[in-house]
Amino acid sequence: MQFITILFESLIVGALVGFPVGVGAARMFNAPTVQALGAFRTLGEMNATEGDPLSHFSFGLGFFFNAWASTVAAGSFTQDVTHRVIPNWAAALLMIKNHDEKAMHDAKKMGIASAIIGAILVAFLNLTSTSLPHSLQVTAVKVLVPAATLLINTVMPVIFWLAAIDAGKRSGMFGTIFGGLAQLIMGNAVPGVVLGILVGKGVDESGWNKITRSILIATITLFILSGFFRGFDVMMLKQLNIGVPDWIISLHKVIGG
Amino acid sequence: MIDKHEETPIYEQNLEHTKNFWYADWSFPVIVGLMSAGVFAGTSMYFNYGTGAFNEVAFVAMLKAGMTGGSYGAAAAFGASFLFARVLEGSLDGILDLGGSILTGVGLGIPAILLSMGVKAPIQNFFLAILTGMLIGLIIGGIIYSIRHVTLKQSQSTFGADIMMGAGNDTGRFLGPLIILSAAQASIPIGIGAIIGSAIFYLWKKPIAGGAIIGAMVMGLFFPIKL
Repeated sequence: MQFITILFESLIVGALVGFPVGVGAARMFNAPTVQALGAFRTLGEMNATEGDPLSHFSFGLGFFFNAWASTVAAGSFTQDVTHRVIPNWAAALLMIKNHDEKAMHDAKKMGIASAIIGAILVAFLNLTSTSLPHSLQVTAVKVLVPAATLLINTVMPVIFWLAAIDAGKRSGMFGTIFGGLAQLIMGNAVPGVVLGILVGKGVDESGWNKITRSILIATITLFILSGFFRGFDVMMLKQLNIGVPDWIISLHKVIGG
Repeated sequence: MIDKHEETPIYEQNLEHTKNFWYADWSFPVIVGLMSAGVFAGTSMYFNYGTGAFNEVAFVAMLKAGMTGGSYGAAAAFGASFLFARVLEGSLDGILDLGGSILTGVGLGIPAILLSMGVKAPIQNFFLAILTGMLIGLIIGGIIYSIRHVTLKQSQSTFGADIMMGAGNDTGRFLGPLIILSAAQASIPIGIGAIIGSAIFYLWKKPIAGGAIIGAMVMGLFFPIKL
């Protein structure tokens, strides 16, 4: 029963994702005149393999194996499924007949071909992943979870932090302050560093204008709200050996944080 | 001058294009809506069956951390800030980055925000997930449509999206060696499997994380361990 449900849901998900991937990719060949949806790497790679169905197919195939391994092991398709496998296989499918590279600039044809490929691909990935023997899944969990934990809690914050510092004085400054606060309040520095880069580079490139000011205010509001709802204010006052005033406690009770 | 004459028909052809569904700006929200519906429903499948998330292992692991009793904070803030940066950038340069905005923002950030508030229904129920995703996508597409038509491309800033993407890709590179390290700690046969698998993938010029996982799992089949 679960097999049928997963098959059914996978076909829907695959077609839903595949269609816009194809249309979006074809529209990229007309950006910025036409608003497109995709990625710069997809555009570059599709141009590089232009015109030859076999090279589109084998380019997609390389990433397909990686996506398959990742799905089987962790249930995650990798972004390559939407960025590389679906658009390149759709282009290959369209060009089998007449080797006409114009076919992949045609949003309608690409949309339909990508919907078909998406449905088959997603169903295949999900069904093979869920019908794995139990001992394999245990191994995957045992190996992947500690690796991912290290990655998220240590490696990612450090890499993003260093990137913020290397990106210039402003993003380094905002990244360091927001990153440190995010570690204290949210338990992970990455969101803070990312917001720091956002504010810092935004100001570097376009100055203090309406957009950058509202980003900074939104970021500070986000920190204040999540600090409050996680009880950070109370904890901080306790650890600084300052008593918690009654009005803060009653405020928490009223709002429910 | 001769060049200009030759360019004119192409320009007109582009204008012609922008009128129908396949190339018009007005249909963009619909395309983003379909995409978001599929990706959000994919996250719903991951929530229910443990497979189907449209993202990198490292990013999905943040959602997993919340699902297994930890905090959704990292996934929520990471996804939401990516979405924000990409929506601004996408309306300015004409390409909305699929990975940052939809896969990470809609597929991870928004579900994590909903789950952290205790709202489970839109993620647990498959058809509700499609509707929720569609609605979110229509809103995002609509925002981009209006920014495009109101601001007339005043700002040239990418808000450091390239730096974030670079750092994100660097993170992915760490996963391979980290998997071998944790495979070696799981058991000796699994460690050996991971080493062989990643060496083969390296020779084959593929990311070694994939080889390490496959090698570890093959050995796990013959030398099972307990959870």
